[in-house]
Amino acid sequence: MKKLLLWRFSMPIVICMALACTEEQNFGQFDDLSVTPTVASSIFYLESTEEVINLTPTAIFYAHTFNFDPFSEQYVADHLLEGVLLFEIENTTSKQLSLSIEFLDENDDVLDVEVFTVDPEPTMLVTRSVAYGPGGKSLDILRNTSGLRVTAENLGDTVSVSTAEDPKIILGSAAEFRFRLQ
Amino acid sequence: MKLRSQFFLITLFSLGLVHAQNKQLLYDFYEIPQSLILNPGVKTSEKWHTGIPVISGLSFQAGSSGVSVNDLFANDGIDFTTKVRERLIQGMSRKDDFSTTSQIEIFNVGFRGKNRPDDYYSFGMYGETDIIVYWPRDLAILAFEGNGGANIGRSFDLGDLSFRGEMVNVLHFGINRKLGNSLTVGARAKLYSSIFQFKSTSNKGSFTTRLGQDNIYETSIDVDMELQTAGANEFIDIAEEDTSNTKSDMIDLFRKRALLGGNLGLGFDAGFTYNLNPQTTITGSILDVGFIYNAKDVRNFTVNGSVTNEGLTVFLPEDITELDNDLWQDLVDEVEAAVPYGENDSGYISLRPVKLYGSFRYDYGEMETTFTEDCGCAISVTEKTNRNMYRNSVGAQLFMMKRPRGIQAALSGFYQRRLGGTLALKTTYTVDKYSLTNIGLGLNLQAGPINFYIMGDNLLAYRNVADSNYASLQFGFNIISWNDN
Repeated sequence: MKKLLLWRFSMPIVICMALACTEEQNFGQFDDLSVTPTVASSIFYLESTEEVINLTPTAIFYAHTFNFDPFSEQYVADHLLEGVLLFEIENTTSKQLSLSIEFLDENDDVLDVEVFTVDPEPTMLVTRSVAYGPGGKSLDILRNTSGLRVTAENLGDTVSVSTAEDPKIILGSAAEFRFRLQ
Repeated sequence: MKLRSQFFLITLFSLGLVHAQNKQLLYDFYEIPQSLILNPGVKTSEKWHTGIPVISGLSFQAGSSGVSVNDLFANDGIDFTTKVRERLIQGMSRKDDFSTTSQIEIFNVGFRGKNRPDDYYSFGMYGETDIIVYWPRDLAILAFEGNGGANIGRSFDLGDLSFRGEMVNVLHFGINRKLGNSLTVGARAKLYSSIFQFKSTSNKGSFTTRLGQDNIYETSIDVDMELQTAGANEFIDIAEEDTSNTKSDMIDLFRKRALLGGNLGLGFDAGFTYNLNPQTTITGSILDVGFIYNAKDVRNFTVNGSVTNEGLTVFLPEDITELDNDLWQDLVDEVEAAVPYGENDSGYISLRPVKLYGSFRYDYGEMETTFTEDCGCAISVTEKTNRNMYRNSVGAQLFMMKRPRGIQAALSGFYQRRLGGTLALKTTYTVDKYSLTNIGLGLNLQAGPINFYIMGDNLLAYRNVADSNYASLQFGFNIISWNDN
């Protein structure tokens, strides 16, 4: 009787341990894992009052070249799949204005340029999306960009004043990049 | 298709997906000396016992509160990225954890006091590894999906990162005392010798990208995070040296740390067994109420601060004289200054994971006892009674354990069958947040002075180990005497 019970109770453990089995697994699937997050961030923001534009004796009331390395960081350059640069321009001044953003390489050579010409107020918010990667501009433009030159030019007069409250020109920009982490 | 050859690979992988320290099969299985480790106040009948060194008590538990190996790696033709997204990234919550617990008994000795036969003394040493990592849900989503697209406006909780782990060697000495026929109490003092410890359990903060007030997006980070480590650096340094002595240096350091050469701590266990009537018993125990003071080989990492930015910003006329060409580097420096990263070697206290057991047992089915006056049962012998007089026991057990994010609990029902003094069997059905179908079996065999036990948990899952959320195995050998042999 004892032997029978011993058999009945202990054998399931032993059998389970000895004959434990599993359905077929394919650990090689891990190589197929695709991790491609989209990273979003603002890039550059310029805001100027109409008073500054009127007081500047030359047509170009803002021009600045500065280093901008995040696109050319090795990790970004190696893992960038595609990206979109977003621009928003709002002009509530009384002048037609031109804004340009030049993408410069290490030698300050121009890789690409985005130019915006905006009419005096009243005008709609100007937006533009520029795609890079498949179906868009070359990713090499971003990968080789190490500086930006931002230029703002007054195409109108220097005396008129907008009727809008607190008239300004505003340039906003952001990036949404998709990376391959795995 | 069944592939037994992959069993060990699955098991190894599963060990990274482990949970629970619940030993419901061993608890109150008083025929086995190791039950003293789970309840210092358990009923003791033996005169003395000694575990066979290193193989007297081995326990490994494996499981997962979230996905199983099969969920991800089954050869089912489903795109792997889809499985990861649906079952791991979206399917698991921040309450799910991955943890591992293993215990290896180095030695374990017990004996009944000559002058105080009501006392049963025990001492020994065991090594324990305990690691728990909560699923960092928001951080996983951030890594998998990013902060852009549909996640604009979403606040990622940096507090989702929570983990702790340690390897510790425990020297212990316990006293088990019978206070009459109804009550047995016990306590155990513990000296912890830490081999390594790490924890990062009080993290707070958020990372958010939303529509900006000025620019298109505004990114804010508010973070208060810390990782504390003790004992890990010397191992890492030896590994990085990668010389011909690396292996022996590792072993030497391990041995030194295990034998009181590292960070030390103190703790205690306490427990009781109380007979409400001859057939009804309640038990309870609290384990590992203790701490380790980590002062040696400490290295802590901190990130603390908050910052919000909308990219490079130029406001005219305020910035009209700002002609710096390094605007980007200035922004990076500003962020690093606002959210500084730091390292220090300040000592810290780590608390042991406290565990609590309780049980209710009803015995029935009288049997002829084989115990005599030589059984070492002290009070029971004196009064010519023996509590090993029932063939069957049924009851319920409760297990609770303090974890970084609260109490982890399990409820078990059990049936135990004794066949004379040689064989005892126990089966349990356990419910916890990890499994609703956990059936376990335990066997204790006493062949003369040789005692052998083996216990397996969640046996139904052995049909497909890869699809199991939980599995455990315990076994050991002891030598037990009830007389003067």
